[in-house]
Amino acid sequence: MIRLVPDHSARIQRTEKVPFTFDGVALMGCAGENLAAALMQAGVLHLRNAPGDGAPRGAFCMMALCQECVVFVDGQSVESCRLTVSSGLVVKSRR
Amino acid sequence: MLIDEQGQAGGQVWRAKDRSILSAPATPESRSGDNLRERLAASGVRQMTDTRVWQIERQGEHWVIHTLRNGAAGRLHSRAVILATGAREEAQPVRGWTTPGVIGLAGATALFKQSIRLPGRASVVAGAGPLVFFVASEIRRLGGTVAAVVTPNTRADWLARLPSMVARPDLLWRGGRWVADLMLAGVPIYWGHAVKSVSGDDQVTGVTLCRLAADGTPLPGDIGIAADSVCLGGGLAPSTEAAQLAGVAIRYRPELGGWVSEAELDGSTAREGLFLAGDGCGIRGAVAAELHGQIVARTALRHIGQASASDPALERAYRRASRFGEAMTVLSALRADPIGLATPDTIVCRCESLTRRTIEVEIESGAVSSNAVKSGQRAGMGPCGGKYCQSSVARLIALHENRALSEIAPPTPRPPIRPVPVSALAGDFDYDDLPMPKPAPL
Amino acid sequence: MSENHDIAVIGGGIMGCAAALRLASGGMAPIVLDRGDLGQGASGVNAGTLSLQIKRVRLMPYALKGHEEWARMGDAVGFRRTGGYTLAFTEREAELLTERQTLKAEAGAPIEFVTNNQILTAEPNLTRRVLAASYCREDGYANSSLTGQYYRGRLREASVPYRERCAVTSITRDTQGFVLHTGGPAIKARRILLAAGAWLKPVAAMLGVDLPVDARINTVSVTERMPPLLTTVIGHATGLLTMKQKGNGTILIGGGWQGRGTPQEGRGEVTADSLIPNLSLAQFALPELGQARVLRSWTGFEANVPDFYPLAGELPGVPDAFVLGCVRGGYTIGPYIGRLMGEFILGHSPEMPVFDPGRDFEKDAT
Ligand SMILES: Cc1cc2nc3c(=O)[nH]c(=O)nc-3n(C[C@H](O)[C@H](O)[C@H](O)COP(=O)(O)OP(=O)(O)OC[C@H]3O[C@@H](n4cnc5c(N)ncnc54)[C@H](O)[C@@H]3O)c2cc1C
Ligand SMILES: Cc1cc2nc3c(=O)[nH]c(=O)nc-3n(C[C@H](O)[C@H](O)[C@H](O)COP(=O)(O)OP(=O)(O)OC[C@H]3O[C@@H](n4cnc5c(N)ncnc54)[C@H](O)[C@@H]3O)c2cc1C
Ligand code: FES
Repeated sequence: MIRLVPDHSARIQRTEKVPFTFDGVALMGCAGENLAAALMQAGVLHLRNAPGDGAPRGAFCMMALCQECVVFVDGQSVESCRLTVSSGLVVKSRR
Repeated sequence: MLIDEQGQAGGQVWRAKDRSILSAPATPESRSGDNLRERLAASGVRQMTDTRVWQIERQGEHWVIHTLRNGAAGRLHSRAVILATGAREEAQPVRGWTTPGVIGLAGATALFKQSIRLPGRASVVAGAGPLVFFVASEIRRLGGTVAAVVTPNTRADWLARLPSMVARPDLLWRGGRWVADLMLAGVPIYWGHAVKSVSGDDQVTGVTLCRLAADGTPLPGDIGIAADSVCLGGGLAPSTEAAQLAGVAIRYRPELGGWVSEAELDGSTAREGLFLAGDGCGIRGAVAAELHGQIVARTALRHIGQASASDPALERAYRRASRFGEAMTVLSALRADPIGLATPDTIVCRCESLTRRTIEVEIESGAVSSNAVKSGQRAGMGPCGGKYCQSSVARLIALHENRALSEIAPPTPRPPIRPVPVSALAGDFDYDDLPMPKPAPL
Repeated sequence: MSENHDIAVIGGGIMGCAAALRLASGGMAPIVLDRGDLGQGASGVNAGTLSLQIKRVRLMPYALKGHEEWARMGDAVGFRRTGGYTLAFTEREAELLTERQTLKAEAGAPIEFVTNNQILTAEPNLTRRVLAASYCREDGYANSSLTGQYYRGRLREASVPYRERCAVTSITRDTQGFVLHTGGPAIKARRILLAAGAWLKPVAAMLGVDLPVDARINTVSVTERMPPLLTTVIGHATGLLTMKQKGNGTILIGGGWQGRGTPQEGRGEVTADSLIPNLSLAQFALPELGQARVLRSWTGFEANVPDFYPLAGELPGVPDAFVLGCVRGGYTIGPYIGRLMGEFILGHSPEMPVFDPGRDFEKDAT
């Protein structure tokens, strides 16, 4: 099939994968990758529950404004789209 | 001193890659961004990245910029400040738009540029203007599948904009290639359509589309599409909060993205030593933003007493770029009734999970300003500070009260400009050192 | 075209609205005018603390009555009677606490001194560094952001007309009474009640009266939702901290720290030099607050006259004109003193004395 936009996926090289956890679940992510992106890549989209109706929510704006992707790291709430993955990172949800 | 909350300079359009990317094929955006960062590094401009500005105050002859970096608060004093805070993305509330797997359309570009990741395995890409084709094309470039492209614009809308686009044959060519590639790949493009609802519980499973009438109202005949992710765009709106907190008024300019900060072309504002550049004073696109930055820098230099003549050629180039940018902004707002697709039980305020019905009941009970709806129902009191509901709330008020959008100001912005941990502000302190004023009379 | 009313109330804060409701129930036909939305002034942005421990001694009987009104308004205004602790961390603060709370208890507030053990049992998340504390079971809070919504509903029920975005810019007289000029059609009224909060001075000046009204600019902040940390209202011996956790988990922090700006300029600014010590004090009292993120800080204008007692009575020298405002703790006392003012204007003898706006402010009003 003719592609006018080439497929670059095979040409992207990333750092090695390191372990981190989300609510105790062991996950792997590339060292230095944006945490929201890494969680998405690992299939973890449901990051918190909404107040009121308790419905699942996940990263939305990807630019650190909407606060939907907020998680707990070191006891502090932070936007996961402003954090990066490091080996042994412990992430907890606000669920 | 350049301050930015991102890890590296570049802003939205030239956002830098994560450290996790060892190598990747260059794109026009990555090239321009890398070039910019190289020039910045060579220029000796001091940079404070990963630094959020949470408040700006005037103290005597200076502006005080309050920052937050690595969990610690700091302050900088300066005679001149340029606010170039860019834009936020508007969103169109539809049923299910809060489902995990729905991300912003412009937000998706951040994911591509920074992490070079896809939002899912099969994505519906929806929104107006050129961005929707850029995002769909990037998904294809990164090896993903576009389940459908959905845009409220019709082919006729695009044709009508051609005259303003011939000034930028490069962009026209690039855009044409995106569309042609999608067509060759058999990706369905729904012109004149919008996403009406998103299904899925803790992850997107599909979307429902509908065709739009010329005024943006939905027409009968639903189309269902399976997908695990949605990139949903509602256009861009200037980020005005920082300027407003510094005392700059806003004005309604729909052709520039909605409420924009009042500034002259050269960036000067009603506040001394405070200048505005880029998207924050109207969405005019990346090319115009760069030129505007150069113009405004000259104004700021003059303010601090350094000779820097204004450059008519620069201003002409900026005007030309603005025309193109404005045409795209208008296109992005065309045929999109941003509230028309929200059903009564659609969530409008994400932070507080408030539905359209709740907000309408509040309006009917007499809350006919953005501030009144905010006070009564907390729409705008949540962590995002109203960034993602204020336009919808204003539209609902306008609809019910039969008033123009220009009469319905957004809620009063409040500091901090971004959420700030109490511990960061308090820092380490000795109780006895707290500057306690004298207690009130008995 | 103009309309006629028995009385026009200028200012739709808690004072103006409460008075208008009493006037309507007493048979008068009032109209309420506000240049913004109802309850967007001090009445809608205050910290909502209903605490007898921070009320002025002489105003205690009014505050006690105020608490009864709030209990009646109940859920519609987010009222909670939680009890409240006032804390002292140093010897000097402990002395201040003992001296002040003793006088307030004598004035009728059910305030008692408590031991550290009692506090830590009730509020285990508070700092261990409390030196002395008092408790009042009557204390609690209401949600001041609901002021506008609540009074719009009550005024509608009582068929009292109100106009929002209707600033009174000048006042003239005709044979029937007063003519109020606004951006729109003029409004005529036999009497007027000035209840313009921190803007009383310019409004009284429209009638040629110089009221010595000044304004403080108080700061309030709120955090994101937190797990349960507090169940009562927390205060500080100096009054420089009020803190409560709302039902939704957010923590509201006040204490009267001063921002920048004047009512004339219309815009108040939060200054870091006040906000930071305010939050530091709060974190000192409740260490886990450090983990919370502040979402919003704002300021509001609180009016006062030199003796810090209310203006509630006839506007000196202008027959049929009345004034109500400058009440310290005016959110707590507002619904009650508004009612008293209504009774006064209706010609009934009010249950408790009002406060003559023509008094000598330099003299100690006690
Ligand atoms: C998510 C997103 C993606 C976009 N993608 C494209 C694209 O691919 N192509 C295109 O042509 N246009 C894109 N646009 C439009 C684009 O923003 C503009 O054309 C251009 O980037 C405007 O430049 P600017 O410098 O005015 O703003 P921006 O590039 O947005 O720069 C603003 C900068 O200010 C920083 N900032 C804002 N507030 C604070 C604060 N309080 N403290 C510290 N730093 C702060 C931000 O981190 C950002 O780096 C996008 C817009 C958005 C919102
Ligand atoms: C930040 C803050 C925190 C506080 N915390 C507490 C607390 O915790 N507990 C407590 O008991 N008290 C508290 N107070 C005090 C209390 O809020 C006030 O005493 C009370 O709300 C005053 O009510 P008001 O109706 O007199 O004034 P406002 O509520 O200010 O109402 C005056 C109204 O007049 C209108 N107006 C002005 N000029 C005109 C004009 N020309 N034409 C038409 N309308 C006009 C204004 O728009 C405004 O709505 C606090 C005050 C502030 C500012
Ligand atoms: S996705 Fe919006 S703040 Fe992170």
